[in-house]
Amino acid sequence: MTTFIVRRLLGAIPLVLGIATIIFFVVNLAPGDPADRFSSPSMSPEAREQIRVNLGLDQPIHIRYVRWLGALAQGDLGVSFSRNRPVTDIIQELLPNTLLLSFTAIGVAFVLGILLGILQAVRQYSLLDSIASIVGLFFYSMPSFWLALMMVLLFSLFASVWGWPIYFPASDIQSIDYAFLSPFEKVRDRLWHLTLPATSLALVLAAGIARYTRASMLEEIRQDFVRTARAKGLSERVVIFKHTLRNALIPVITLVGLYLPFLFSGTVFIETVFAWPGMGKLVVDAILQRDYPIIMGGSLVFAMMVVVGNLVADVLYAVVDPRIRYD
Amino acid sequence: MREARLARLILVAGLTVMMGACGGEGGASREAGPWMLEASLAEAGSGIPFCEEVTARVSAFMSQFEGQMPPSERHGGAVVVASIGEIPDGMNNHVSQDYTASQHQSFVNLMTLVTYDENQIAMPYLAESWEVSDDASEITFHIRDDVYWHDGELTDAYDVAYTFKRAIDPETAFPNAAYWTHYDQGPDGVEVVDSFTVKFRMRPHADYIDPWRATAIMPEHLLGDVPSTELRQHPYGTVCPVGNGPFIFVEHREAASWTFQANPAFPAGLGGRPYVDRYVYRVITEQTTLLTELLTGGLDVYIRPMPDQAQAVIDSDAVDLLQYPFRSYVLVGWNARRPQLADKRVRQALTRGTNRQEIVDALLQGYGTVANGSVPPFHWAYDPSIGRDAMSYDQDAARALLDAAGWVDRDGDGVRENAEGVRLAISIKYNHGNDMRQDIAEIMQAQLADIGVEVTPTVVEWGTLLDQIGQSPRDFDGVVMGWVVEYKLDDTDLFHSRNISATYAWSGTQRPDIDRFLDELPLVVDREEAKPLWSQYQELLVDEQPYTFFFFSDRLDGINKRLRGVEMDARGEWLNIKDWWIPADLR
Repeated sequence: MTTFIVRRLLGAIPLVLGIATIIFFVVNLAPGDPADRFSSPSMSPEAREQIRVNLGLDQPIHIRYVRWLGALAQGDLGVSFSRNRPVTDIIQELLPNTLLLSFTAIGVAFVLGILLGILQAVRQYSLLDSIASIVGLFFYSMPSFWLALMMVLLFSLFASVWGWPIYFPASDIQSIDYAFLSPFEKVRDRLWHLTLPATSLALVLAAGIARYTRASMLEEIRQDFVRTARAKGLSERVVIFKHTLRNALIPVITLVGLYLPFLFSGTVFIETVFAWPGMGKLVVDAILQRDYPIIMGGSLVFAMMVVVGNLVADVLYAVVDPRIRYD
Repeated sequence: MREARLARLILVAGLTVMMGACGGEGGASREAGPWMLEASLAEAGSGIPFCEEVTARVSAFMSQFEGQMPPSERHGGAVVVASIGEIPDGMNNHVSQDYTASQHQSFVNLMTLVTYDENQIAMPYLAESWEVSDDASEITFHIRDDVYWHDGELTDAYDVAYTFKRAIDPETAFPNAAYWTHYDQGPDGVEVVDSFTVKFRMRPHADYIDPWRATAIMPEHLLGDVPSTELRQHPYGTVCPVGNGPFIFVEHREAASWTFQANPAFPAGLGGRPYVDRYVYRVITEQTTLLTELLTGGLDVYIRPMPDQAQAVIDSDAVDLLQYPFRSYVLVGWNARRPQLADKRVRQALTRGTNRQEIVDALLQGYGTVANGSVPPFHWAYDPSIGRDAMSYDQDAARALLDAAGWVDRDGDGVRENAEGVRLAISIKYNHGNDMRQDIAEIMQAQLADIGVEVTPTVVEWGTLLDQIGQSPRDFDGVVMGWVVEYKLDDTDLFHSRNISATYAWSGTQRPDIDRFLDELPLVVDREEAKPLWSQYQELLVDEQPYTFFFFSDRLDGINKRLRGVEMDARGEWLNIKDWWIPADLR
């Protein structure tokens, strides 16, 4: 297994480099210029050209590419054009926020989705099953930014204006007094801010996971070994959770890896709506401002996430299904 | 290790749902004790040698004020301001041009030599006084001797001279070079007379003082050794700025917030320490979220709510809406190099065939004024009567103008042609992602169809659009754009025939009479004398119609009622932030 993981990781290096190279040329050859954001009559064309020189953009593209590769080899992603800070510093600051949000959402989504899926499978065609299916489809088909806006309106604006007992902040990852809070209060404050964005992301995911779990459970429940388990007098709980669920989860678990990249695209909207300082919004802003170093750095991180996500899926597959071996 | 971490994160996720139910109170308290230093002040920019050194010095200097009780009941509390954008270049005036950045540099973290009063008359700020030589070729500033950089150094004339030298150094690529066109940029341009007196040489100009209102003075002792080409990406700007203004930089969380705290060493002669203990600027991109935060008390000031959010702000008991004329206008620029648009009568017809008041009412909910020239309402040279009748909405007049220019519908398809059979079909371009500009293009399409003009709205990505309209071969007919004007009004780059092939000569205007005004107006120092000349110039623009000047939008701001002493106008939202205060029971 270790050999397999190492081999896959090594194999990913040319893949990630290839992706980065393509992105490098696409963003650099796209129309527009990082100096455009200063466009105004009070800026002389000479000053604009000088900005390009100061940013290193006066060099031909192949030289820039080689330099970029050289710096990358030393772990240097350059300095952002629009934020004027080293890209590695910015990513270090923002990536944990995105990971916190994504993993929380994935966790909530899987717990919620699997539980719901089991319930629906066990009570197939019951009223509960139908209601859960309809509600699930409702969330599944909802664009995440719209759901997020509705969450803001409902649980932040209306909750506050109408004086509900529960109220959640609509933006940011912490209160402005965060620095003055005790460690326990800090955790509570962070979770309080995490609730709306994580729920918005998780609901959409959970709906899909519930469908997968339900289908997979229904398939397993009709297998002979389940009948055998029941016949030998095992309690229904053991039959469902120990025998059926274990097998039914095999296809569902692998979704973890496949959902990771999907999540990162989903967080762009969520991060925007909830002013969550994270990678998704960073990269989108960078694209609009032609901030090449951030686009490159962010894409690299995302590419690695996707590679890791796929690897996790493969590994999990082997873990839950003994028939699969990577040798 | 990685797996263990993952497990912890998922555990956190499980907790979230439970926490939601108990996190019920409306945000943590904002109570402020006696004057104290922010914990994070000492942490800014750790890992970067420059930052570690300067933040240690700031902490050391400020610690002597620790524990001092604020001098009045108005002191205390934290004020939170939010808008949709980051402050991209931070507190680094050498490289910045952005509005929010310049506001923070001028009024929050740094200081300018002079500020404007509400009539745009220069008032002393960092400069105590100044005098201009009789032939208007020299200006001498006397700098205050009681303004300290936040690390304890005195601000002096050398800082002023340093800031000027950086600004005119081509390698800095100062984005506002136009400020200094009438200043002597040679080696004799600036002379430090003594530590608090500095002299500049210049050519006479109506707005000779204006650059000193716009340019925040920068610390020579911190940045003097940095090569000009590296200033832009220096950590001073966004990681650990050290200013001399009423607020000390504390923390910058990327894409999230900037925190400042009141400067206890701010000179008593300028009002002393600001009333609020802390000032936080937050970045919230989504405007629905911004409005929600304002209405739920998470924000004190929402910079620039959308016009369609104004009613919600007015309706709320907790907040007020401020409305005032601002410095920007929206326009549709016409490429007069195109055969369809070469005749000024056609351009006049396009303006007269468009019901701009209706568009102001529909798109701005009435928060704006129809524009007929490039001088905005806040400005002393503004004259509302110009073009009001000549360019009023009148479809018959528009049709008559087109007929006279030889554009007649010859084949009965509803679109006019000229004698050679060229159809009066134009495209109006706008940038992707700007709904208001899209609406303008589409409304014009509908309205101008009535007078026989075929308009095709065309969306183009921003950077591409700038290239298309700014560079030969100028691939556009009409374009929806906007300008934010400075106090130092100067349309030379837009309309002077000398600049016809330069970037901003979108229309390609070539009129000697307009050129003459553009040359002479900057030299008329006396405003009484200048005002009629400005009016005459504006009349020429009305006649020429290089643009359909669309509207001057009003600036809107949502303010929490607990915040007192707020004054905002065209000079900016942060104008008197050091005088804002919050009653003790509402902190």
